[in-house]
Amino acid sequence: MEDLLVMAQIAGRRCAFSAHDVQSVIEIGAITPVPRAPDFIAGITAMRSQALTVIDCRCALGFDPAAWECDHRAIVVEVAGYSYALRIDSIEEITVAMGDTGTVPGGFGPEWSRVATGMIETRIGPALRIDLAALIAGPETLETAA
Amino acid sequence: MDDLLADFVAETREMLEASESEIIAWEADPTDRARLDTIFRFVHTVKGNCGFFDFPRLAALSHAAEDALADCRSGRRDPDAALVTAVLAVIDRIVLMVNAIEAGEELGEEGDDDLIAALSEDAQPAEPAQSQPEATSPVHGPASALLDESDDSQFDPSEPKKTEAPITQRSIRLPVDLLDRVMSGVSDMVLARNDLAHRLRQAGTQPTIDGPFERLTTILADVRDAITRMRMQRIETLFSALPRLARDLSAELGKQVMIDLEGGDVELDREMIEMIRDPMTHIIRNAIDHGIEKPSERLANGKREIGMLSIAARQSGNTISIVVSDDGGGLDEARIADKAVATGLVAPSERAAMTREKILQLIFEPGFSTADKVSNVSGRGVGLDVVRENIEKVGGSIKVSSTLGVGTLFTLQIPLTLSIIAGLTVECSEQRFAIPQSYVEEIIHASSKALDFTRVGETALVTFRGVRVPCLMLTDVLTLADGKIAEGQHTMVMLRLASGDLFALAVDGIHSHGDLVVKPLSPAVMKSGLYAGSTLLDDGQPVLLLDVTNIASQYALVSDARGRVLNAAQDEAKEKAQDTCRAMLFSDLFGRRRAIRLELVQRIETALSSAIDLSGDAPRAVIDGVILPLIGLPDDPVTTEKVRLLRLTDGICEILYAVHAIDDAVLLTGDLKPAGDDPLVEAITLVEGETVALMDGHELFAQFGEAATQAAKPVCRLPDTDWARTILGPLVATAGYAIADGGEAQEDVAIWFDDEYEAAMALDMDFNTPVIRLRDAPDAPKNADTVYRYDREGLIDALRNARSVGGRG
Repeated sequence: MEDLLVMAQIAGRRCAFSAHDVQSVIEIGAITPVPRAPDFIAGITAMRSQALTVIDCRCALGFDPAAWECDHRAIVVEVAGYSYALRIDSIEEITVAMGDTGTVPGGFGPEWSRVATGMIETRIGPALRIDLAALIAGPETLETAA
Repeated sequence: MDDLLADFVAETREMLEASESEIIAWEADPTDRARLDTIFRFVHTVKGNCGFFDFPRLAALSHAAEDALADCRSGRRDPDAALVTAVLAVIDRIVLMVNAIEAGEELGEEGDDDLIAALSEDAQPAEPAQSQPEATSPVHGPASALLDESDDSQFDPSEPKKTEAPITQRSIRLPVDLLDRVMSGVSDMVLARNDLAHRLRQAGTQPTIDGPFERLTTILADVRDAITRMRMQRIETLFSALPRLARDLSAELGKQVMIDLEGGDVELDREMIEMIRDPMTHIIRNAIDHGIEKPSERLANGKREIGMLSIAARQSGNTISIVVSDDGGGLDEARIADKAVATGLVAPSERAAMTREKILQLIFEPGFSTADKVSNVSGRGVGLDVVRENIEKVGGSIKVSSTLGVGTLFTLQIPLTLSIIAGLTVECSEQRFAIPQSYVEEIIHASSKALDFTRVGETALVTFRGVRVPCLMLTDVLTLADGKIAEGQHTMVMLRLASGDLFALAVDGIHSHGDLVVKPLSPAVMKSGLYAGSTLLDDGQPVLLLDVTNIASQYALVSDARGRVLNAAQDEAKEKAQDTCRAMLFSDLFGRRRAIRLELVQRIETALSSAIDLSGDAPRAVIDGVILPLIGLPDDPVTTEKVRLLRLTDGICEILYAVHAIDDAVLLTGDLKPAGDDPLVEAITLVEGETVALMDGHELFAQFGEAATQAAKPVCRLPDTDWARTILGPLVATAGYAIADGGEAQEDVAIWFDDEYEAAMALDMDFNTPVIRLRDAPDAPKNADTVYRYDREGLIDALRNARSVGGRG
């Protein structure tokens, strides 16, 4: 697979986003909070004339964002016609996938299994492939869907 | 006519696509009322559109289907499988015909009558449909002559005339979201350019870069302009079809109608034009069918034989108002009320309490139609309710007023675009939120005694125009930390919902108001049900737009529909009792809506932009030969040829205020809410649901007022010499004087050569006006009250003094 991957640290774990899904990486400016929105929605921010929904990935996975550092950059992705800015611990680099996405017996733990499509080997080591739609849906969807 | 035809074909296709699934669902369950309605509307619209063109067969088919379906809707007939099949066959035939029209072919005649016959129950032969073709073709005579040219090219491809087609402007249909994408791309480009400009400025002058950058800027400005125009369209495109429609309809109905169109150059969103096309057509059909009487009747009533139908479009701020008025019979209040009671729309007791105006608005209620007999042209329930529904769907409103025997007037208010709305930005716990202005009824500071903020249990109440109104604290709604502002000291934004319910929203303060470009929010944010979208402030900060209706319903503040008619009537009665002051509404050159007290406005001037002088420290303009201070100009130079100016006076000083457009003189009924940030704004108030900044007259004159210059030109008498006429005259005129030509009874100042003056004095001539004496020598003799004839400054001074001493006013 010559799939390019954007590597990032989320809650101390290495994750991989397909470069195809990533629109850009932006310096995150002022974030306007959205009162009464779920916690994982950090707010909205402006990218050029567009408004992005800022998702704190640590929160979306159910971790405490204060426990991790936060990159001043964010990954911009588009899901179902809406653009989101993903806040993560840090953006590492862009690399090439080595091999296909695979699974690990026993899963990745309750928080991660929901958003991970599998494990992928890269040049800088194994990483979790992230399902963007599941990540952006946030932690509640499990309960509301049930 | 070609584009009209193309539009017709495209629209019919679109509607068919939209109702395809409905048709299939209806086939499965013929008793399904909702599906039946959809299909009914489809055939009704096809029938209606045929009115534009000479398609008797299409009209006959759709009319027959409509008749059959109308019988089902009114319960006179039960839809059965046979009927469904027949209707579907008709729809299929319509599709075939539309295809044929597009391809410019003639479709075989055979089969139409069979299809129509299949629609009828044995007891109900579809008579009107049968007679349709014969009825229309003769009266269509003159109109179809107009169509001949396009008909030829449409229906006969071999005709060489087809080669003439390229003369018409070529156009293509584009999906709106593609336009949107291009538009947002261009806005992004502008932002990127601004960013680049900023960086270039920091880097200092670099001739090699600055040149191309300037070029880029110019190109970008052009592109932006073009893109904006792409979305905007002159309302003319809508109007152009109307004379034809009126002509055909009136011919068909044996009436004479003259149509008068005004304001065709008003531009609005292309999409919006499409949205109001049907409602407009419908209103006009109505006016001609029900409004304007037959010529004989008109003559009997002492009116002109020809009915007038006038359609005028006007832009005021962010809305376009379209007024359709006819001088026909008018609406019969009693008949409408009876009908409403009969159909159960209002209870008899309610009827008594309703004003004439309220009763007239009932014609927009679903299921209401006064047409006693069904005609080909209009009316049987698919009517004004659909018109209102469609207009409200795009955020507009419709009202009717009428005088029996004199005429009817429909007023449509339509927002300029779908994505730009007027909004109010409020502040709450140091965060800003936007509220669509259409909801805002008034802004009141809670400390004002009249508001009487109280709490009953946990519910906050305020008193507004004598009624206790529930009050929501925005901090509570959004679960924000309470701000520094004590309870009862908040600013109240009075919000009126579409249902007529009123509530107050307590915010920390008003930040600004203006046009907001609304962008959609992601579903996760929308789920909270509090926000309708987001928008960017001028500084690029994103702001959330509150979903007022949803917030109100979350707090159970929306009453059922029944109470609204009466409530609204009460509110109106109260409004009338309010104290008022009159103001002139206008939009300034920054596009902001402003108002100024009417007493201050002396006159409205239109000046050539060349009359504006920017060379001094403050802009000035020459009006009637008087130089006046000019305010309200934007930083960049005025590009239009002419400028509208408000000439303001406080009785002594005069100021010109450059404006974009004058709107109207209105009564300021709303409370005046002091505005802090701009010293020139006295207060913010509401006019017809939109906030308007009321200019502070005192501050205007304190800052910009200048020593007295008169409004009316004073008259100056010159000595009767060539020198005076050719050399002195122009100077006197620039100083703001008119030159006496002998006709005036009284001049305000006279200029005399000193020697002549002395001679006149010697003759005891009576000087009842100030006199300026000119001497020939540059050096003044001692104590001489004279001015050297080439002392320009001295002359102007003398003229000015003379005016303040002896002039009028």
